[in-house]
Amino acid sequence: MNQDVGPTALRSSPVPVRGRIGQLRDRASGRHSPLRRLDWTLQLCVVALSGVGALLVWSATRQRLGEAGADPQTFLKRHLLNLVIGLLLGAVATVVDYRVIRAYAPFVYLGSLVGLVAVLVLGSTINGAHSWIVLPAGFQLQPSEFAKVALVVGAAMILGEKHEDRHTGIQHSAPGHADVLLVLGLTIVPIGLIMLQPDFGTVMVLVFTVLGMLAVSGAPRRWVLGLVLCGVLFGTAILQFHLLASYQEARLTSFVSENKAASGTGYNVNQAMIAIANGGIFGRGLLHGQQTQGQFVPEQQTDFVFSVAGEELGYLGAAGIVVLLGVVLWRALSIGFGSQDSFGALIATGVVCWFTFQSFVNIGMCLGIMPVTGLPLPFLSYGGSSMFANMIAVGLLQNVRLRSRSDPYAM
Amino acid sequence: MNDRMRVRVLLLRVVVLSLLVTLGARLWVLQILDGDHYRQVAETNRVREVVTPATRGMILDDHGQPLVRNRTSLVISVNRSATDRQPDRGKAVLTRLAGVINTPADDLVKRIRFCTAQVKPPCWNGSPYQPVPVAKDVSPAQALAVIEHPDRFPGVSADLQAVREYPQGSLAAHELGYLAPVTQDQLDKQGDEKGYHLNSLIGVAGLESTYDDQLRGTDGVQRLEVDRFGRVAGTASTTEPASGDHLVLNLDLGVQQAAEQALQDTINSLGGGSRTGSAVVLNARTGGVVAMASLPSYNPSVFVGGVSEQDYRALSDPANGIPLLSRVYQGSGAAGSTFKPISTAVAMQNLGARGDQRFLCSQTLQIGDQIFHNFDGESAGPITLHQALVISCDVIFDQFAYDSWLGDGGLRNGRGPYAPPKEYFVRMAEAMGFGRGTGIDLPGETKGSVVDRADAKAIWEELKDSYCRRAKNGYPEETDPAKAERFRKYAAEACVDGYLYNAGAATQFAIGQGQYLSVSPLQLANAYVAIANGGTLYRPTLAKAAISPEGKVVQTFQPHRTGTLPVSPEILGYIRDSLRGVTTEPGGTGTGVFADWPSATIPIAGKTGTAEVEGRGDTSWFASFAPANDPQYVVVVSIPDSGTGAEYAAPVAKRIYQAIYGVGQPAAQPGGRPPGALPRINRDGTIAAATTSDPLRPLGPGGTSSAVTSIPAASATPPNSAGALLPALVTTPTKAPVTTPAVTGAPTSPPSRAPP
Repeated sequence: MNQDVGPTALRSSPVPVRGRIGQLRDRASGRHSPLRRLDWTLQLCVVALSGVGALLVWSATRQRLGEAGADPQTFLKRHLLNLVIGLLLGAVATVVDYRVIRAYAPFVYLGSLVGLVAVLVLGSTINGAHSWIVLPAGFQLQPSEFAKVALVVGAAMILGEKHEDRHTGIQHSAPGHADVLLVLGLTIVPIGLIMLQPDFGTVMVLVFTVLGMLAVSGAPRRWVLGLVLCGVLFGTAILQFHLLASYQEARLTSFVSENKAASGTGYNVNQAMIAIANGGIFGRGLLHGQQTQGQFVPEQQTDFVFSVAGEELGYLGAAGIVVLLGVVLWRALSIGFGSQDSFGALIATGVVCWFTFQSFVNIGMCLGIMPVTGLPLPFLSYGGSSMFANMIAVGLLQNVRLRSRSDPYAM
Repeated sequence: MNDRMRVRVLLLRVVVLSLLVTLGARLWVLQILDGDHYRQVAETNRVREVVTPATRGMILDDHGQPLVRNRTSLVISVNRSATDRQPDRGKAVLTRLAGVINTPADDLVKRIRFCTAQVKPPCWNGSPYQPVPVAKDVSPAQALAVIEHPDRFPGVSADLQAVREYPQGSLAAHELGYLAPVTQDQLDKQGDEKGYHLNSLIGVAGLESTYDDQLRGTDGVQRLEVDRFGRVAGTASTTEPASGDHLVLNLDLGVQQAAEQALQDTINSLGGGSRTGSAVVLNARTGGVVAMASLPSYNPSVFVGGVSEQDYRALSDPANGIPLLSRVYQGSGAAGSTFKPISTAVAMQNLGARGDQRFLCSQTLQIGDQIFHNFDGESAGPITLHQALVISCDVIFDQFAYDSWLGDGGLRNGRGPYAPPKEYFVRMAEAMGFGRGTGIDLPGETKGSVVDRADAKAIWEELKDSYCRRAKNGYPEETDPAKAERFRKYAAEACVDGYLYNAGAATQFAIGQGQYLSVSPLQLANAYVAIANGGTLYRPTLAKAAISPEGKVVQTFQPHRTGTLPVSPEILGYIRDSLRGVTTEPGGTGTGVFADWPSATIPIAGKTGTAEVEGRGDTSWFASFAPANDPQYVVVVSIPDSGTGAEYAAPVAKRIYQAIYGVGQPAAQPGGRPPGALPRINRDGTIAAATTSDPLRPLGPGGTSSAVTSIPAASATPPNSAGALLPALVTTPTKAPVTTPAVTGAPTSPPSRAPP
């Protein structure tokens, strides 16, 4: 972009005169074109998932909106708008060299902390969590979603630095004790702030993301094992001493205690499972699921959006979504595999851990094998902040991909 | 990025892949393996049933007179799925409604809440989608107040519902029975098979219970699709209710009325109180039940809409004579001398006595150290068995029983050379149907009891400990010391040799006294049916036919033979002839009662009985049949705690015969026989009566050869003006939820008169 392609320069140029547009076209379609080097499989799958998500959100909401006298397509339009904004944000995250991003990582991190503090001061409570900042024109911001991106970038920066052994002077890429402690410190601050909302689901996403990044970064094994052990003990203590708000505990335990209850937290899951099972192999057809159209599943456009797919698109559709998510994760890991440095690989690892955990917990919840945690399903659930954060994450993956030394397909 | 990191990324791949495979597998289980289960759950999740009860069939007597029919009642109902959606959850509407139907609003709230383990009645145990009836039999004005202001009463409806009605009051209450709401247990066990629904009414007593399947019909079910909030989204399917079949009985209204009236008069003359009485009339040729009366009785309408606890207690109170219990088939006692024809059969069939043989009817009979007195202590000299029956001589039958007992080894209790004991009297009693149910088409029949030597021993084995304890401790709770000592002595004897079937018990058995034979009036009548018709035992049957709402005969209940008496026809003929003498010959125990009876045209054969009951007055019995030469009807009357058979039971039987044959009154059974044809039920619910199909013997009115007369009262014309109101309601162009259930048996046109 620093090349002067002005008309004056053209006249003195020895190469055949070509139009500015033509040059751009060459640049775009050339062998080393950044557009060519983008992971189009990944991008297509992400857009496909978001598109399916738009249909499912539409199916889940149009009846209710219509009955309330609102435009039945409101959520459909907003989901698509979120997708477009998300793609733009993702493009920005792709274009800026991730090494620049690494340099600005501390600011990204601090910015996310400001957001988390702001939500505690300005935020509104929706569904028992104080997680949203309500903006004008009906928009809402959920800073904890952006905290996921910030933490992935921050942790990748620290864990991906070239490390020099103080005693031997040998450079190696495995982080030492000091790095691990720093990462843990960086993690605990947003976790603490999110706990205050409280949003237990997001906390778990952060914990698993950082754990995954630590494990892949080559941090000392006892740290990784020790942290896992701590997590188990902490989790047990929480349930044992009732440290969680009772509704959160009810959500967590409802799936353990075979929710026969037709009301409360068990009700949601029960209705979601009925909806999914009702779909059979081929589904009831979009907009024709009795459970969905009868609005039996609460929160169906957000946390339980997968139940719409299960009922209306059947096993073929729902398993197709799982396959698409699998392709996204597979491509992300390939990008990490092909990254020229640890930073890029860890970014990819972090995003994969984040998406995997969130997808598995969300779908698992709809299928009755995971507790109810209130996590959105990436790309499919309705929600602007979630969509933006996911798209920025995908943008970061493309960013790493663009600047890979080797061709990841060569592995 | 170094190679070790690459390895870890590869490991992460494996983790991610396995998690996704887990989801895929779980999805497979849920959607494909367990799919059916969840689809069913989904179905119940979103489909709600609204039940339109079928109209129950009528129960008619043999001529088509309704004994049970349906009347329409204007019912106001509250639809909770509508009122719950109102901003105040229907409070304002209920308060307004309370004003209209003059009920406290609190009461209304209680009635429409849902019953649970904690919430007890008043509450609603039906489906939340079923409108809850809150007021029955409201006036048309009240119904209109609701219907014409749907804006003020959203979710409230008024419609016509069919309610069981008993036009004859308490008549034949024990036979008709009553309905009660289905229990959860019945619903769980038979709900699907029998088509019960929540708040279905099912027959739980009498014919309503036995023929519930025929009478109930099939409820209409509208299956509504609803969303999570219970809002109706559409109708999945609708099945219209199909009315139940009508049941035509062998029972005759006129005979039944006469029987109940005669019994009532007799009981009143005795002083009423907890006194009871029963009468049964059977068709001697088929076992059909022509009348069956038990007093005290009750009006089954107390069970309509649910019996109150107070009423139910009164109906089961011994101080009132337990009106719920039918003495005809649910109570039993000693038969007294009405058993003697059976003993006569034993004497002639098993013990070799001949009809022309004479036996000494002495004043007393000494057996061991016991002396048996002839009834009233009279001696009649040497007489035939015929005369023994006519004057009811005990001693002759005692002697036969004693001989038979000796033949079985006496106190050796049928052991050794006497095994197995022949026990002719016991076996004959069993052959007559005693000791087992007759199989009548009513629930809860008593078996009575016939005790033979083996039974006596078994009973003693069971009771001997208590006898021996009583022998030691006496009866300190008994206030009369003499009585207590008598009881103690008896217990002391029973403790030692109670297993012995002694001569006293055997002789008592032969004359229908003592503890070892207990029969219900129905059993006795059934035995007399066999004696009267030449030896065939039938199952007594109330139902004659089931007729569909369209008037088609769907089922006829044919006479059902249950056995043949082991007695030769000649001997039965001898016995019948002897019994005829009871009412006609000089010295006959019934001659006085039937002195003014037209015995030449309608000869009556019968046997009086006076059964001694410990601690109470005698039970008066009369068992009979007519005409004696060609029996058509068997009439048995039993009046406990009264006196001799001739004094009380025989006059009641006579009044029943008068009603049957129309002596001094119109005949209830024209021609002296039950109607051969079935009544014809028209589509509109009117009934064309059945009369006798035998035009050769026109006795009394109605016996014309055209076998049809119209019974205008037979249809269920609503007693209030709802019938007139209904068409007006239907044409009212409001959105009021007026429904007009198809009440079969409730004509909208006046009953048609049959052609002459």
